[in-house]
Amino acid sequence: MNAPPTFESFVLFDGEKKIIIDLDTKVPNAALFTVNKEDHTLGNMIRNQLLKDPHVLFCGYKQPHPLEHKIILRVQTTADYSPQDALKNAITDLISELSLLEERFRSAIQDRQEGID
Amino acid sequence: MDIQNQSRKKAQMNKEEVTDTNSTLYGRMSDFEEQWSLETYEKNSDIRVVKMNKTDMEFDFIGVDASVANSFRRILLSEVPSMALEKVGVYNNTSIIPDEVLAHRLGLIPLKADARQFSYRIPDRDAIETDTLFFELNVKCSWNPKRPKDSSDPDEMYINHKVYSKDIKWTPIGAQVDLHGPNDVGPLEPDILIAKLRPGHEISLKLEAVKGIGKDHAKFCPVATAFYRLLPEITLKRPIVDEQAERLQKCFSPGVISLDDKDGKKVARVQDARYDSCSRNVMRYDDLADAVQLSRIKDHFIFSIESSCGTEPDELFIEAIKVLRDKCRKFLAEMKKSDLMETK
Repeated sequence: MNAPPTFESFVLFDGEKKIIIDLDTKVPNAALFTVNKEDHTLGNMIRNQLLKDPHVLFCGYKQPHPLEHKIILRVQTTADYSPQDALKNAITDLISELSLLEERFRSAIQDRQEGID
Repeated sequence: MDIQNQSRKKAQMNKEEVTDTNSTLYGRMSDFEEQWSLETYEKNSDIRVVKMNKTDMEFDFIGVDASVANSFRRILLSEVPSMALEKVGVYNNTSIIPDEVLAHRLGLIPLKADARQFSYRIPDRDAIETDTLFFELNVKCSWNPKRPKDSSDPDEMYINHKVYSKDIKWTPIGAQVDLHGPNDVGPLEPDILIAKLRPGHEISLKLEAVKGIGKDHAKFCPVATAFYRLLPEITLKRPIVDEQAERLQKCFSPGVISLDDKDGKKVARVQDARYDSCSRNVMRYDDLADAVQLSRIKDHFIFSIESSCGTEPDELFIEAIKVLRDKCRKFLAEMKKSDLMETK
């Protein structure tokens, strides 16, 4: 009866920001990224991609509560690199990875269909 | 293969535990020197289609991270759009099913309609031809005048006493007649039972179908199932013969172990580990447990998709790639935007 509307999990509220960046005051080169209306789909993928970067010292994410539709991503990098850059590089890599994957998938499907005909 | 590479590539299934399950392939936490780059990814990854037809497909997804495979699974289930009945206008319902239960049942009927040709309906705006499909369901039950006198079979006694999904009739609006063929739109299956009626009962409804995503409601989920599993690998560490070989064969799924005839003896051989259920039943026999090594290739995913919306599963997967890439692009754009804010 008092269930929140289901679209709350993927539509931003009026004036709500997608990403909030909080720099860690106690640790150098560390930041907390709060990403609204995202879940494990993106969170886990970005975390794993960041962990592949040798300049990333720490990376972890959490969804603080199942009814709060946001994830918090913490990134700490080496001195010559910023968490923002690390995140941007990780996402750029992911986008190119996905484009390559789409190409691969399309050609695999095409090979298959030509094989049948 | 040396021990380090083995634990990097394979998870071991032992008698009471599964080891080497972590997927730290690259980066600081891995003792492996090679670093991740698009080139190494391109070199190591591959996609092979194993099975494919109009509704089901199975393909091998090799050299990718578990997080990527899982993202695709999650997106197929909850973020690839499809069409479903959303609004039900009840003109008459004298059946024994309450209106709201009937509406819920109708919503869950899989519709065949290409969601890519539609846009999301804007709330509080009138329906237009590019965002809504209209249907009608009009069924009236009556006595069969030709029924045998002493019959007790409902099929003989009544006319129209079963309401099926095939009774849902599409009523095109605007240019919809030209855009979609008569067989492109409608319920996916003709024989889904919606309600049962008795003489005098009548159902008269106007239905509206809209585009939506599984996150909003499960009825918008375009797949029946979308799942992946890791490729199993079975290694026999010593020759297994005769009675032991037959026992070994029974421990695995059919077709996994075959028995060869060698010098009058039956010798067990791993024929195809791919479709093994990984039950680890073999571990129950002490004399066999030490003779086999069960493992799974950690970056070889067997991905299965079963479509339930009329769109072919390979197209659904391409849609999933697009959804995921759009998510990443949006994320990147937001990051760049917040950079600009900082420099101001």
